[in-house]
Amino acid sequence: MDNPQFKAGAKAALPIVLGYLPVGMAFGILARKAGLTTFEVGLMSLLVYAGASQFIAIEMISKGISWFPIVIATFFINLRHLLMSSTLSLYFNRHSLRTLGLLSAQLTDESFAVAMSDTSKISNRPGYLFGLQVTSQVAWIAGSVGGAFFGGLINHKGYGLPFALPSLFICLLVIQIKTIHHFWVLILAGVSSLIFKWALPGNWYIILTAFLATGIGMVIETARGDKR
Amino acid sequence: MRISILILILGMGIVTILPRFFPMAFLTRWVIPERVRVGLGYIPISILSAIVFPILFFNEGGKVEIQPHYLLSAIPVFIFTWKVKSLWGSVVLGMLIYWGLGSIL
Repeated sequence: MDNPQFKAGAKAALPIVLGYLPVGMAFGILARKAGLTTFEVGLMSLLVYAGASQFIAIEMISKGISWFPIVIATFFINLRHLLMSSTLSLYFNRHSLRTLGLLSAQLTDESFAVAMSDTSKISNRPGYLFGLQVTSQVAWIAGSVGGAFFGGLINHKGYGLPFALPSLFICLLVIQIKTIHHFWVLILAGVSSLIFKWALPGNWYIILTAFLATGIGMVIETARGDKR
Repeated sequence: MRISILILILGMGIVTILPRFFPMAFLTRWVIPERVRVGLGYIPISILSAIVFPILFFNEGGKVEIQPHYLLSAIPVFIFTWKVKSLWGSVVLGMLIYWGLGSIL
């Protein structure tokens, strides 16, 4: 893990930091309200590091639900990472299990999306991805512990903060539009995600949309017989 | 620290690491056919689209409801990013517009 790449990755994480700090704070505040200690909040952000699952866990804890259903729910919510991890695997093909373990442990939707915005930077450069992901997780832990510790002192819904992560996702989505095929896949995926989310419980819509839209993308590309 | 919370955190930790780790650890040792490689290329845009659209058309309770506040902030961010590919710029612009709209809507 050489230094300049780590630094470049850390720098690329700054938009994620801007999003993770307030969302992490919101998590910390809610977790304290649900009865977790500041230490427990920090430990969860360190070992679990999955935003949606952590919020749902807090919701379930405050309803008195025991650990087992929460763990099952967490498993299904995070199955979407299978697809992201598969995609990332294309760019790391000669590294030790230890390196791959370190890299994959900190995979999130946001770090995946930033990594995919310029794949030339991550291709067999674990240092870059590591810098990107460590910086992101530090922001997540700092935000959640800060939120748990300082509680209601800071308004995490002010200053446009709720729109930080949506902006990041929109931006990353636009960067992915490389050909007209991508644009059609975008529209198709968007519409089908709305239908799946409306029709099905939980987070299944992301995985189903990814399968459907990717499958159709492959068909379009094969039918046209051209490569990107 | 309560033992039930420790079990919960460790359990959640284990089930979150599995889908993150397995494909990366074992697909990297497998030569991927060209067609599958092409398909994987569409995964990022599909996932991002499936994250963004529901933010704009579902409320926090998970019910269908257009989010004018989000939608009106999203359009300028989309156009700005299309013209100027800057992550920082887009995030800051999005936050400013959202913040500004908060005092109007």
